[in-house]
Amino acid sequence: MKINLFYKLFGTYVVIALVAVIIINLQMGAHIKATIQERVEQNLLANSHLLTLTSSLADLENTVDRIAAIADARITLITADGRVVFDSETNASEMDNHLNRTEIQEARVKGQGSATRFSRTLRIDTLYAAIPIFRGKEIEGYIRLARPLTEVKKSIHEMNIVLLQSFLFVGALSFLIAFLFSARFVSPIQEMEQFTTRLREGEMPGTLLISAADERGRLARNINHLVTELKEKIDLAQEEKGKLEAAFASMTDGVLVLNNSGAIEVVNAAFTHMFSVRYADIEGKTPLDAFRNIALQKALDRFRGNGVPLSQEILLEEGDIRAVDVTISPIRGLPRNDEKTMLVFHDVTRLKNLEKMRVDFVANVTHEIKTPLTAILGFIETLKDGAIEEKEIARHFLETIHNHAQRLNRLVDDLLTISNIEMGETKMSFEDLSLISVIESVLPIIEQQAARKDIKVKKELPDALPPVKADRDKVIQILLNVLDNAVKFTDREGAVSITAHDNEDGRVAVRISDTGIGIPKAEIPRLGERFYRVDKTRSREMGGTGLGLSIVKHLLMAHGGALSIDSRPGRGTSVSIFFPVAKEENGISR
Amino acid sequence: MGTKIHTSSQYEKELKEVKENLIYMGALAEKAIREATRSLLERDSNLAREVIGADREIDDIDEEIEEKCIRLLALRQPTARDLRFITAAIKINGHLERIGDMAAKISEKALALNEEPQLKPYIDLPRMAEIAEGMIRKSLDALINEDCDLAHQVRIEDEKVDNLNEQIFRELLTFMMEDPRTTHRAILITQVSKSLERISDHARSIADTVIYMITGKNVRHTDSEQAIKG
Repeated sequence: MKINLFYKLFGTYVVIALVAVIIINLQMGAHIKATIQERVEQNLLANSHLLTLTSSLADLENTVDRIAAIADARITLITADGRVVFDSETNASEMDNHLNRTEIQEARVKGQGSATRFSRTLRIDTLYAAIPIFRGKEIEGYIRLARPLTEVKKSIHEMNIVLLQSFLFVGALSFLIAFLFSARFVSPIQEMEQFTTRLREGEMPGTLLISAADERGRLARNINHLVTELKEKIDLAQEEKGKLEAAFASMTDGVLVLNNSGAIEVVNAAFTHMFSVRYADIEGKTPLDAFRNIALQKALDRFRGNGVPLSQEILLEEGDIRAVDVTISPIRGLPRNDEKTMLVFHDVTRLKNLEKMRVDFVANVTHEIKTPLTAILGFIETLKDGAIEEKEIARHFLETIHNHAQRLNRLVDDLLTISNIEMGETKMSFEDLSLISVIESVLPIIEQQAARKDIKVKKELPDALPPVKADRDKVIQILLNVLDNAVKFTDREGAVSITAHDNEDGRVAVRISDTGIGIPKAEIPRLGERFYRVDKTRSREMGGTGLGLSIVKHLLMAHGGALSIDSRPGRGTSVSIFFPVAKEENGISR
Repeated sequence: MGTKIHTSSQYEKELKEVKENLIYMGALAEKAIREATRSLLERDSNLAREVIGADREIDDIDEEIEEKCIRLLALRQPTARDLRFITAAIKINGHLERIGDMAAKISEKALALNEEPQLKPYIDLPRMAEIAEGMIRKSLDALINEDCDLAHQVRIEDEKVDNLNEQIFRELLTFMMEDPRTTHRAILITQVSKSLERISDHARSIADTVIYMITGKNVRHTDSEQAIKG
């Protein structure tokens, strides 16, 4: 059993009090008993002296009977040779010689004597006191007074009861006081103990209220002080931790931490997103086991080989293929046997795509220029080699050269247009424009083209549309490009339709649909890219530069408009163009 | 006593290394299939040549794993569980090596096919490749995690690949009958399809070995339904 401070203290107090009371009681009892005996003895001796003062032995023999009743004592008269001549309680003649009795011997020698003894005559504990009776200088005999000790015993017994009562009273009182005092002394200590226990278990128990002014009070104040400081430090640490965690979680780069045995310890949200995994599925696995990515594993092996931080590009091939730049470095400042490795993943897919687009662009431009140029050079060479003499052939060749030169010219024009729009150098002369009139002005050109392929051009225009804020020439260019595409990619006897309506979100929509070959869904997002062709050979045969939609997209962006393409392969394509409506103040419909 | 702890932890480490190597080899095999298929679909001859070159690495690891396993058997005299694991590792190692060879073979066919115009759009081949690749991964996951259910799943998927293989063969047969000039290309494609089917067979064998390793039951010559019931 746990012995606590209270019981220790209380026990000690009670034991001390009880021992003190017991010792006092024992001593007092002994003392009082001695005093009572002495008083009885004194009393007996004094009476004896009084009796012998005036009387001789013979006189006493006559008067002693009455005296015994008065003195409340048994009186015995003994001659000098020890013979009992009188006894107030029994017949003297039956008693034996008393000369060798202690009290008599003592009296003979010292002049008085006393003894306590069991009386054989009275069969009772008795106190005897004896003095000699003198006649002149001679001892004539002895007078002995005796009183039974029963009385003494009785008073001692009474005294003992009183002492016991006092013992019980004092004991109970000291018990109570010890209890109260111990409890009062111990309770603040217990409070502090409970307080610190809760503190140790991680609770924040508030403030310790101890009113004691002594060491306990000071101890409590110190504890309070420590708790306050601890709280501040924990708060500070938590704040710091919170900041770091927030930064870690909200990083756009993926972070992965490996523990010293190479297993995944921590990842952040960006990482799980980037690798499309759940933390629970990869926790504790090695990166190889979790991702099965050879490039990543090779990079890790290389890092483990020499311990030098490294950065490498890897491909993630789960789902969409993405290029990721991984940086592997050790986490510094950790204990020697707990080395961790940090991998930071930076998604460079967009960058890679841009880079690829740039490279592609250069390659495309070169290719696009090279093709007509080769043809031109070839025909010129043939002409130089003599074909120029044959008029008919020369004419045909010149026609071809002209066509190719025109194509080159268109290409360069388109490139210039794009680069001007991109660099913001195209002057846009915005005016409030009625799209209906622009569409009407464009349609004849297209109808002519369409007629050659027996394509029907249908229009479905409302009577009035809100005016749009646009550059007339650029709008014509946009519409022509889109319509041209529609006709180009629609087979003979197909249909192209153009409709316009107020989109009622501050934009006017023009929709151009065809019944052409359509575009696979996956290709649609790439349509605005320069030189991007869905079907490479076919498009080029049709004389396109591969820049048409790109120009449309850029021009629309310059207008604050938008482009949306919807298509089903084999069924046709519909292109929606959105122009912003002109502001009300000068909004006059034309 | 001290040396004993040292050797047994050394032993654990060696076992772990074999496991790691197997995963690595599996990842290489998956990559090889993926890239071989891509070299075919995207008509990328450079990639095809890369895959053929990368088969070397798989062969090297094959030798390394075999050597490690034999050394473990000879020096440590493993018992029970470890013994079953090591024998399984030797078998799986062989299968993975063959899978690597198949991937290289597919790439060789891709090289030849890329010389000629595309016969038809590939629809079933990428699906086959995807399933086969997943089977390798699953069978190795089953090995590492000692997951019998996953291994049974692999066995079921093998049938899908077999069906696809037959389907491709029938389809190409019609091409060849219609136009005998397509025969060369069609045969090459059926060979690719056959290789993928063989790969899935190897993956299934890995799964069978895993099941044997975990349960001690030999399911090699039962069909998947029975295996699950048994």
